[in-house]
This record gives sequence, C-alpha cells and structure tokens, in this order.
Amino acid sequence: MDYVNSNIAGQQVEEEIKGRGKYLTVFVCVLFGILVLRLLNMQIFKGSFYEEQARNNRLRIISTPAQRGKILDRNMEVLADSRPAYNVMVIPEDIRNVKDIARKLALILNSDPREIMDKIKQAKQRPFSPMYIARDISFTQMASIESQLYTMPGISIDITNERDYLTRGLATHVLGFLGEISRKELDKAGEESDYSPGDLIGKSGVELICEGELRGLKGRRAYEVDALGRKVRVVEETAPVSGRDVRLTIDKSLELIAKQALGDRPGAVVAMVPATGEILAMASSPVYDPTVFLSPMSPESWRSIIGDPMHPLENRAIRGLYAPGSTFKVLIASLALREKFIDTKTRVFCPGKYELGNTEFRCWRREGHGSVDLITAMAVSCDVYFYSLGERLGIDRMSTFAKEVGLGRHTGIELKDESTGLVPSVEWKRKRFKQPWHRGESVITATGQGFTLVTPLQLAKVMSGIVNGGRVMTPRILASTPERLEMNLNLSKEELDTIKQGLRAVVDSDFGTARGIKDRMFSIGGKTGTAEVARGYISKLPDSSDIPFKFRDHAWFFGFSPVENPEILVVAVLEHGGHGASIAAPIVRDVIRGYYYSKGLSYEQVRQDNQ
Amino acid sequence: MSRYDKITNNLDWGLLAIVAALIAVGLLCIYSAVRLTAINIFFKQLTWILVASIVMITAFLVDYRTHMRLAWPMYVCMVLLLAAVLVVGREISGARRWISLGFMSIQPSEFAKIIMIIWMAYWSEKKIQIESYGMKDLVVPALFICLPVGLILLEPDLGTAGIVGMIATIMILLIGVKRSTVITLGSLFVSALPFIWFTLREYQRNRILTFLDPSRDPLGTGYHAMQSKIAVGSGGLWGKGYLQGSQTQLSFLPEHHTDFIFSVVAEEWGFAGTTFLLLLYIILITKIIQVGSRAKDRFGSMICYGIAGYFSLHIFINISMTMGIFPVVGVPLPFISYGGSFMFMNLLCIGLVLNVAWRRFMF
Repeated sequence: MDYVNSNIAGQQVEEEIKGRGKYLTVFVCVLFGILVLRLLNMQIFKGSFYEEQARNNRLRIISTPAQRGKILDRNMEVLADSRPAYNVMVIPEDIRNVKDIARKLALILNSDPREIMDKIKQAKQRPFSPMYIARDISFTQMASIESQLYTMPGISIDITNERDYLTRGLATHVLGFLGEISRKELDKAGEESDYSPGDLIGKSGVELICEGELRGLKGRRAYEVDALGRKVRVVEETAPVSGRDVRLTIDKSLELIAKQALGDRPGAVVAMVPATGEILAMASSPVYDPTVFLSPMSPESWRSIIGDPMHPLENRAIRGLYAPGSTFKVLIASLALREKFIDTKTRVFCPGKYELGNTEFRCWRREGHGSVDLITAMAVSCDVYFYSLGERLGIDRMSTFAKEVGLGRHTGIELKDESTGLVPSVEWKRKRFKQPWHRGESVITATGQGFTLVTPLQLAKVMSGIVNGGRVMTPRILASTPERLEMNLNLSKEELDTIKQGLRAVVDSDFGTARGIKDRMFSIGGKTGTAEVARGYISKLPDSSDIPFKFRDHAWFFGFSPVENPEILVVAVLEHGGHGASIAAPIVRDVIRGYYYSKGLSYEQVRQDNQ
Repeated sequence: MSRYDKITNNLDWGLLAIVAALIAVGLLCIYSAVRLTAINIFFKQLTWILVASIVMITAFLVDYRTHMRLAWPMYVCMVLLLAAVLVVGREISGARRWISLGFMSIQPSEFAKIIMIIWMAYWSEKKIQIESYGMKDLVVPALFICLPVGLILLEPDLGTAGIVGMIATIMILLIGVKRSTVITLGSLFVSALPFIWFTLREYQRNRILTFLDPSRDPLGTGYHAMQSKIAVGSGGLWGKGYLQGSQTQLSFLPEHHTDFIFSVVAEEWGFAGTTFLLLLYIILITKIIQVGSRAKDRFGSMICYGIAGYFSLHIFINISMTMGIFPVVGVPLPFISYGGSFMFMNLLCIGLVLNVAWRRFMF
C-alpha cells in the first residue's frame, strides 16, 4: 500500500480533488442546458405541431352524411327517394389485428377476407378518417356485426341515406346514378371539400348535374377514444344539413307511358312542350339497374355493363346518333320554300328513281309516286321529290341551314355528355376523308341518309321550333331552369303553315305514311323516317324479316298535337326497328294519347280542342 | 448541546426539503398516471417511500467511514449477486434482472451503482498520490469496474451497465488522470464503438436504430418514443392542466408511471412545470456537489461526487429518452418514477450525502 503519509502533500491533493467539484458542476449544467433547450424547442416552438398530433391521437371524427334530396317530377311526385342503409366503417388507426378482423367480417358479409384486408390497407393512407368497407348490408348482417363490435376495435356501423329508386327502370337515364367518389373527383373537389373517400357522388344524369343541391352538408361527430380505440365521450356534434329536393319538368305518368310504349326494344322517346322547351318524358332503352353502382362492384360486373353490346348506360335520347332519315325532309322543304326554289304548286314527277349522271337513286316506292307537289311529297315521303331538291340546293345551303336551326351542336339541355351530332359539309369531308364532295351525296343528304347524324333530342328541339311558329326553345329538364327562347327561325308564317300542312297530311291523308295512327279524338302531325344502316344490302333482300337485326334500319317518327297549337311533340326512334311508320309512329301516338288522358280531359273536350 | 440538537442544527434541511418536494411531485404524477387504470400502484409507491425513508435514516446514522471498511465485502457481495441473477434470476422478456426473495424482488444491478460509488471512493482514498494517474495506474481499477459492468451487460441491461461505467469514469476523471491518458483512452473508446455494436442483442440494436429513425417501426419499438414525444410537445407553455393530459389519461403513453413519468409532468404542466422540475434537480445536485467539496475527507467528497453523477446521469438519460434524443433504455427518473428498489437507492444516496454533510463538523 503506497498510502501517502505526508500530511501536507495529502492535504494538497485533498484540496485539489475537492476543488474539482466545480468541473462536475459545469458538466451537470451542460447536461441540463441540453435538456432545457430541447424542452424549449419541443414545448414552445413545436408545441402546436405536437398538440395536433395529440388531437389526432384522441379525437375521431365521424361524419354523418346528409340525407340526399329527392328528385321529383313536375307534379311533385317522387322519382328518387332516400332510405336508411347500414354501412360498415373502419378507422384504420384503431385497427390492431387486420387479419383477424378481416376474417370475422368476411364471414358475416360473405365476402373475401383478402378484399377487406386490401381495403383497410388502402384506407391507412388517411389513418384517422373513417372509410366504408361495406355498404347497405342487410339488417341481419348489421345485427351480427353490432353484437361482435367489442372484439373489433376500429370497426363501426353507421347509418346513411341511400337512394331509393321507387320506380325501378323509370327515367333511369334522366335520374342517372350514384357511385363511390373516384380519386380524380376527390382531387378536383379539393382538400377542404366536404367529400371524403368512399362517399357517394352523382355520376350521371340529374344526380350529376344537381349534385350540389341534392347532396346537402355532412354533419360531424367528434369523439374521444383511448389508446385501445374505445369511445370515451362525444366532444362535439354538428347535425347534417339535408340536401334540397330537385323538381324536374318530367311528368311521371307520361314517362311511364313512354317507357311502356318503348318496351325493352333499344331506342328512345322524347316528349317536349314546343312552346316552353320543357321535357315531359325522356326514355331510353335498354335500362340498367342504378343501385349496382352504390357499392363498389367487381371488375367482372363492371366489364359486363361496359362491354354490353346494347350499351345500357347510354342515354340514347341525348347520346344516340342516328341518320335522320326522311324526318330531314321537313328541313329540306323549309329551306327550299325559303330560298324560293319551290312553292306549294311546284310539281315533280316521280318514276320511282332519280338519275344523276350514271348513278340511279331509287325512291322507296319502286313503282314511283307519279306527279307530286310538296304537300303530297311530304305525306308520301317521296324520295325523288327531295332528291331533286337536294341536287338543286346543293350541300352548302343544306349544311348551313342544318347548322342554323341547331343541328351539329349541343341542344343546351342541362344534362351532361350530350352528343353534338354531325352536319356534313364540303369542308368537313375534305378534312375527314381527304376527298371532294360528290353531287350524289347532296342528293341523298336531302333524304336524311348519308353522313348526317342527329340525336332524338336535337330532332325534338328543331321540329318543336318549326311547329311552334319558328320559335326554337332550349330544351330543359329542371323545373328551376328559366324558359329560354334560343332563336326565331328565319321562315315566314306562310312557309311554316305549308310545312305544317304537309306534316298533317302524313297522318291525315289517305296516302300518308303514318295514316295508321290517325286518331278520331285528337289531331296529329308528324313525319316518319327510316335511317338506312346498310345501304344497298337491304334492297337485295325481298322480305325485311330476312335481314339480320344489326343491318335493319332505324325507325323514326316525330309527332305533335294538336296540329294547330301544339302542346306536345314526341320523338321516337327504334334502333333496327325497320320502317318508321309501322314501328315508331304508334309509340308517339300512345304517348300523345297518354298526355291527353293524364290531363284528365274527356274525349269530347280533347276533340273540341283539336277541331 | 444534546446529541439531538447537534443533529438538527447541522442537518442540511434545504437538501431534505428539495427531496421532499421532488417526491411530492412524483406522487402527484403517479396519481395522475394510474388513477384510472391501477390506483393500487399509487398506494404501493407511498409504502415504498415510507420504507425507503427508514433506509435513508439508517444510511444517515451509520458513520459513513464505516463503509470504507465495508467497501471490499460490499464489492464481493455485489459481484456474487450479479453472478447469481444470471443463474437464478427471473427471466422477463429475454433479460434476467430480478432476483425473487419470495416477499419481494430485488434488482442487484440497481445496488451495484451505489456499491461501485462507495468502492471507487474507497479506492481513491487508499490510492492517494500526488501525480495524476497514468495508463498503468488505471489498469487495476479498470478491471474492478469492468467485472460488474460486464456482469450487468450479460443480463443484459445496457442502460444500467452504461450508467455504472459512466459514474466510474466521472469519478476517475475527478480523482485526476493525465491529459494524454484521457485522450488515448477516449479515442480508443470511440474506435471500439463499431465492435460494441456487434455484441449487442437484436432488440438492443433495434432500439438504437429506431431511435435514429422512429418512423421505422411506429407501432413497435418506436411507439413509446413517438407517444412520449407527442405528450411532451403537446404540453406547450402551461400544460394541459393536472389530470387533463389526453396522452396520459387515455393511456396513449405506455409505462407512464415508470420510465416515461416525465412525459406526464411535461404534458400536464407544460414548459413551466418541466423547467421547475429541472430547477429542483439542479439545486439538489449542486447542493450535493457542495457537500462533496466541503467534506471532511476524500472518501466523503468522492461519495458525494459519485452520487451527484449518479443523479445527473439518470435525469439526463431519462428525460432525453422521453424527448426522443436518446434511445429508449430502462432508466427511471430519480424520486419521481414508480419503483421500490429505485426509491430505496435514491433515498439511500440522500442519506449518505446528509451523513457526509453532517459529519464534517465532527472530528
């Protein structure tokens, strides 16, 4: 042991060591300084950041969807209602055992546990916002989930209002459908919007265009949870604001008649008030089931709807494009009268064919109509009469006029995704096919064949304008949209009266192509049309029933009543229906008859009005 | 003057008052942390405090110079206990740290801290030399330090081993080591760090990795650190109010009555509360250092310095850990955290300091 005995030396060392206490103090102060700086940074400078995180930890915000507004017809009858539905919701942050929960839910919901797991994982991107994993489950499923909720933290049941389409298949395309909001729509709505993933949003029809009114405002309920995700107390609650009802111009009973008249044949019917532009009925066939989009669908069922060759999702009334056929003759007649190419006395001899150079154009009646004036030509729908007009007028005049009256562009109806149609011109053909215009093409254009394409609504709008004294009203389907006069056609009263006479003769005269729908009760004017689908092919076959369905012609008819002062104009088109007169005209007649019945007028009253 | 008067007159009442204040803060926080889930913990802590007070009084009454004679026996006992815990200790999540005595469990590594302080103080008293220590002089003490540290590492208990090692290092530096030796050993230690990494167990490495990047495993190892940071930060300037901390009351904070008790202080009392607590601590530690520098002998002052280092390291590591600037190692907060053995230790240390302070007037 080298114990130092020297007292003095020992004392010295002792003092020295005791003095080193100050180094220790400095060291400790440095350590505490670090702590204070860190505390300052965390609690003062970043305090609000951590506060937010603590808030996220403890608060769960559940939004309570607002009741969606109803869609009503013009008489306040309900077309689409709201009803309660039970949904399964997940708050991803509170999920502890994804696999276990997915298995339990899949058992009750009769679905694939992997699918549920994927959904929960996907929802993790927004861990604190609840997301739907199943919608509109049955009452029994709801009850058995409810009874097991305590074993599934993070899962909850909520009640929303789902669409109830009281009359399945009625006005389906007008009403449109709801579907789960897409990522794109969500981004478009913006971060601050009321929308969150899994919400329903209008995807088409009135549901789409009136989304803002119908939706209302979601309410929110904020409650506190503990670390295990158990509810502790409700902190804040705001009630949802119900969406507003939307009233349409549609008449439910007339819509039903139009739908029944159309049946399940592919085609469309549009009924319009010529004087106001109100759409009374708009039916498209085939229909789809709008409820299938409410819950996320499998890729297969989605493909089966999208890939259906009958395109059930399309609203044919505004999207269907068809050659106008002989209905186009009404416009050619108006143009020829205005441009003084003809008057009521002008006669053309129809031998059953029209020759232009080496080409021969057939009249639909092979034996010919003989000598016809304008009224007769319209009544019997003589092709030769209009072939000659087509050659004389030329494509430029015809195409300018067609555009002038509103073809080749949107009709202005509130619905989205309307087709524009096609008005061919020399310029258009050069651009489209890099080919010059042939005179023969002008000839067939005048009979509504060839390149021209119109939608049923476009035809309804233009024809309404012609029978309404030249006043073209913008078609509208929402009762709230103000009436709008789009234009006055540049046609004199005499010219319009002549056309109307011709249209009346189509039904009234003994040779009229639609004489079969003549009604003792009310007067009808109108025009048949047959849009050729496969030119030439058909004429070789003697009997139309031998022609394969997809090559059969589209059948058109538009009719209005009463002729003098039209209250209603109806357009019907049947795809591959054959001749307009036999197939489409009765539909229009039925709708017009239904219109009078639904007005509650007696037979005599209607008859008097129609004298 | 009666013996009683001598005790009361020369007793460091200020030091005792601070300790009492700290214990009071600790009780309030434990109450807040466990009142909704396990209130019995609060009453258990009360019992521990009473028992530990008796330990403190005993430590105060027995002349600390007695310990000089007991330094070696204590050292041997410690080594035996540390070795025993490796064999008969209860295994809890892969580590053997506790020996069950039937009525209670003890944590030998906890006692190793104070025994090492006493042994180091004893050794410095015996090895007085005028010159500072060189490399050769440090070989023997280094071996005696490494033995218990190594045994604790085997349990494994990285936190405690580190603290024991650091306390010993601080004490040796205070005794006096040549500058060149400090530099050589320092650089040796730094270059050895990568090798230490490979001797760590999987979960220890994970803790360190998660500390460096908490988002690595937000629901596992990183969960404690993250929730604790949220609790501390969200306290703000004035805190959310006593019993109002959402992180604490809704159990988002795990182990909030033991290692993470500081987060409860921080969340409910804010920056005001945490700085007040740190102020109490710094007063306590400077007072202990002051006692050390005024001690009658070298043994006494070294004990005080060791104890000051012991408290400082615990406070620093524990608070850093709750604020996410240190990996999560099981180091509790003196006087505040729940735990019997730890409270014994803390009050035992205070008893020793009071002992040293009081006996400087007695020759």
